[in-house]
Amino acid sequence: PSNTRDAAQARVRSAPSPATDVARLCVCDLLVAQCDTNCCCDPDCSAEDFALFTACSVPVVTGDSQLCSQKAAVYSLDVEANPPERIFKLIDQVNPSIFCIHATNYKQALYLKSPEIPTAENFDQLLDKFGGATFSAEPDSWNLDTDAQNPPEANETSRYEYGVPVQTEDAFLRLPSPVVSSWCSDANPAGFLVNQATKCIRSVSVEKCDSIQALSMLFYINSSILASVFQVNITVQSIVVQSLNGMRTLLSSSDVLRLPMVLDDLCINAVLGVNYHITHTDTGEIIEAAAAFVLGAISKEALSIEQSFEISFTQENTQPVPLSGNPGYVVGLPVRAGFQPQGYPFPAAFLFASLALSSNKHSQLTILHSTSTQDCLAAQGARAPVLFGYNMISGCKLRITAAMKCQPLAQTLLDVLKGQSFPEFVASFGNSQVQDVLDWVPITQLLISEQMIFHTLQSSCQIPVSLGIEVKWTKYGSLVNPQARIVNVTATITTTTLKQLPPGRERIIPITSSVVFTDISSPAEPSYKAWPTINIKLPFDFFYPFV
Amino acid sequence: NSSQLSSLPLQILLYVNGVYYIFYFLATLAMIIYKSQVFSYPDDFLAPDLAVLFLMAILEVPRLYLGFKGNLTEAEAPLGLSLGLTVGSVLLCVYLLLWQTYVLWADVLLNALLLSAYALESGLKVTAIAAFVS
Repeated sequence: PSNTRDAAQARVRSAPSPATDVARLCVCDLLVAQCDTNCCCDPDCSAEDFALFTACSVPVVTGDSQLCSQKAAVYSLDVEANPPERIFKLIDQVNPSIFCIHATNYKQALYLKSPEIPTAENFDQLLDKFGGATFSAEPDSWNLDTDAQNPPEANETSRYEYGVPVQTEDAFLRLPSPVVSSWCSDANPAGFLVNQATKCIRSVSVEKCDSIQALSMLFYINSSILASVFQVNITVQSIVVQSLNGMRTLLSSSDVLRLPMVLDDLCINAVLGVNYHITHTDTGEIIEAAAAFVLGAISKEALSIEQSFEISFTQENTQPVPLSGNPGYVVGLPVRAGFQPQGYPFPAAFLFASLALSSNKHSQLTILHSTSTQDCLAAQGARAPVLFGYNMISGCKLRITAAMKCQPLAQTLLDVLKGQSFPEFVASFGNSQVQDVLDWVPITQLLISEQMIFHTLQSSCQIPVSLGIEVKWTKYGSLVNPQARIVNVTATITTTTLKQLPPGRERIIPITSSVVFTDISSPAEPSYKAWPTINIKLPFDFFYPFV
Repeated sequence: NSSQLSSLPLQILLYVNGVYYIFYFLATLAMIIYKSQVFSYPDDFLAPDLAVLFLMAILEVPRLYLGFKGNLTEAEAPLGLSLGLTVGSVLLCVYLLLWQTYVLWADVLLNALLLSAYALESGLKVTAIAAFVS
């Protein structure tokens, strides 16, 4: 076997020798074992084929014409004979020039040089000779600065853009999600700044539960996220253990990794849910990653479990508050509102204070939520968030009896209309930060009394019967992508006089609350290009002899 | 018929040889330059050819001078030295005729002419030496 290999290598090492015999060279012989048309030098053609030719495509085959005397093969067709036949002549062609080559002592003078076949011995020498810049076909290799390659790569992994998959050491940060069916697929990458929450079903078997990767905590935290020049490890934020009957307990120490294992007939420490929290800077670099786990037990009869996954992105040094738009409000998202913290009574001082925002949605701007009973006093506490762009009206019916006192009733109705904590400020943009105080619009509160229309002041008490919130917004920014911006919020409370009822009688008053969004943006004005002006100026010495 | 032993044909031949050699040197140099541009003439083949040509030119000057001097002063020693140098020139000429990298037809003509001149010259020198010695 080594002999045949050496022989094969020896054959490969030398290129085939050039053909130099003029009588056997045929340029037009392209088809193997077939006669080419009009090719007089083709050895595959017979006399009958020659009889069908019209002309010779290659009339003469010579060597280098610079030689003083050389052999030439001349092919021609004798058309006068019947049938036409091919004439082949081998003649000596003479070059009459005085500078013809009489002889040459240099073997490769008149032939193309056979390239050296690279072998293990001469490879280095050939590389030195032909590997330089002058032999290179690509201009890129002329740039010898290899450091220039590295900075662009570093920039690409350091800054993430919206939607770009978060890269980890081996591949991407995976968020298992249902694809097509409800079964979990591990191939869903988590996109940067895309908050996702998914639920999917995974098939399990209690006997093999310690070998199923997707049930162990390690699977979700073992790869580290690539960010700028270092890697961010995923830390375990908290572990909640869920028992078989659904009761959840928060573990005090979350340092210990709990891996699934079979205990009696159960598989314990199986991952039932993972909640990723990624912290990033405002330039898009990931600085921290934490995962909160929900571990549970799987009973023997269970063939599949439902796992839930969530990922949320928070900017560093900010509270994780869901945005209602970036920057302009998005129709359908709740209007963000907040309070001025206590202890800042002076209006000027609030410029230097920050607002206290609560992420509890019941402290947002809310209006009364109509219930099926439609009784104002019975359904206290049902509120609906005010969604940007959606005009809403809701109400309830108030049954007034003779026994009701005015003042407590007025206070109760005010609570029903405004809610427990009516905010003082509304964010003008969907992404207004708490620190930017000037981005928040104060809610103007108006009180209108129905009895004022008659210009009579009644000393009887007034009860509020309707709350109307008018939100004025404008379009802000570029014409092609206008952003909604809240400019003014006015809450108007209309009161009416409560007439004293005769005993035993009762009255039903409708109480309404409404939200109206008004677009006060000024329409775009068209502007036209200025008319072109003809700028002709005579040279100053045009009227020379006369001026 | 004075007792003039100097050979007139040899003198004429030496003179013509000198003029012809200048033409030969320039023509051969020009042709080597032409060959190096038109054909593939690697450096390690070009160097020996140029060396031979210049060596021949260097040899030619003393050879002709000694020939002139020997013939005119009728002294056999310079003429004999000139004959020795002629042998060297002949060898170099044969190299340029046969073993040059590219031998053009013009090369053949020039070298053949030079060789015949050398041959004739050598014959005349031998006769002149014989005449001077005796």
